[in-house]
Amino acid sequence: MKEKKVKKDIRSWLDERSGLSVVFHFLREKKIPQHKHSLWYYTGSAILLFFGIQVITGFMLVFYYNPTLEEANSSVARIMTEIPLGWIIRSVHSWSASFMIAFVFIHLLSIWITKAYRKPRELTWMSGVFLLVLSLLFGFTGYLLPWDDLSLSATKVGTDIPRSIPVVGAWVTQFLRGGEDVTGDTLTRFFGFHVCILPIFLFALLAVHVYLVQKQGMSLPLDLESKEEKVNELPFWPNFVYREMIVWLVLIGVLFTVSIFFPASLEKAADLMAPAPEGIKPEWYFLFLFQMLKIFPSKILFMNGDTLVVLLILLGGIAFFFLPLIDNKPTERKGKIITVIAYLFIIYAVGMSVWSLL
Amino acid sequence: MTAKKKWIALFLLIVFLHSFVLLKIDFAQQTVQEEKTGTTQEEAPEKIVPGPQGIKESTSMYVFIAWVWLAILVLVYFLRLKIREVDRLLEIRFLSEKKK
Repeated sequence: MKEKKVKKDIRSWLDERSGLSVVFHFLREKKIPQHKHSLWYYTGSAILLFFGIQVITGFMLVFYYNPTLEEANSSVARIMTEIPLGWIIRSVHSWSASFMIAFVFIHLLSIWITKAYRKPRELTWMSGVFLLVLSLLFGFTGYLLPWDDLSLSATKVGTDIPRSIPVVGAWVTQFLRGGEDVTGDTLTRFFGFHVCILPIFLFALLAVHVYLVQKQGMSLPLDLESKEEKVNELPFWPNFVYREMIVWLVLIGVLFTVSIFFPASLEKAADLMAPAPEGIKPEWYFLFLFQMLKIFPSKILFMNGDTLVVLLILLGGIAFFFLPLIDNKPTERKGKIITVIAYLFIIYAVGMSVWSLL
Repeated sequence: MTAKKKWIALFLLIVFLHSFVLLKIDFAQQTVQEEKTGTTQEEAPEKIVPGPQGIKESTSMYVFIAWVWLAILVLVYFLRLKIREVDRLLEIRFLSEKKK
């Protein structure tokens, strides 16, 4: 009895100061529609789960990592060979990054195909696209940190790509590298981006995205929205949260298993004077862009091939960002064509990635 | 959750944590400075492929993974029971509202 009273007192003390009861009330009242596409609703929270794991393992790694030219590679080697279970922590960090980006892609593509970005969820989509870009930047900056041959060469190629953009290209490359070439300054800069600048932007944007998702609620598939009959709904708390917890547990199990059986390896320390090794490849999520750059001829009509590809990618990115505004009539012919484009994009990206691996 | 189930869950949690401790999770332990400076880039091997070294470490890894999956299965079992319960309550509430 007394215990209950103490709990109640603590709760009311906290509520008086934070107003958290409004949030709890909102979560108790929140409903999740139930239909054949409900599975996609779980992808958003899976991204949050992997992001949380990234933050925790990232904190652990940063205790031992040293972002200098002399120490970067050896500090990672030390994490993997001397620090107890360091190799698992690094492996979990590396694998959860891949899992997170995979789920970001799945999440965005499912929204594209089900057209969940339609009015009034345009801003939710746009913040989501920004989050995708930030996730990719996290992957790109993190790839250099072990400072081995492969990461150095891939970063050289990656930071050279913006150079093809007219007017600002050379400046962007110089800004990313902290000079003309990839050096120790680039490493320090990438470390700063990876652990400080990008997390600030990501947390801020994530807060906006989650707020917008809560404000607009879950979107219904097009065919269900047009029907007049009421769609079954599941309370978010506790019915949906329990289901989400099962998904989280299974994903954690898979992540641990993969991290232990296929641990992230480390090549020998990069040599700035050495020629680029053969078979340089970026992370899997950049493979389709990498392959696209590789297959384009160096000169097309009067234009440089690289410049054309980079401009095409930029145009594609801008169109992707403004997709809800372009696809403003989702039930009509234009909307159907855009759905076909989504499927073609998936086939194209997978095909190019596989080609790049062969 | 009944008292019996709570005790089973607590027991499994203790055993799980114990096996974790056996794996010597002293990640916070700082190694001495001499060791840190000892690994120079010249000494670094060509490629480090991490993983359990020796039969003892690999066995402990398999045991660890087995415990992770066992703990997950037990938790999933309890969660399924909870889902069934909350869904039943929801249905009862829905039916009673319909009657009114």
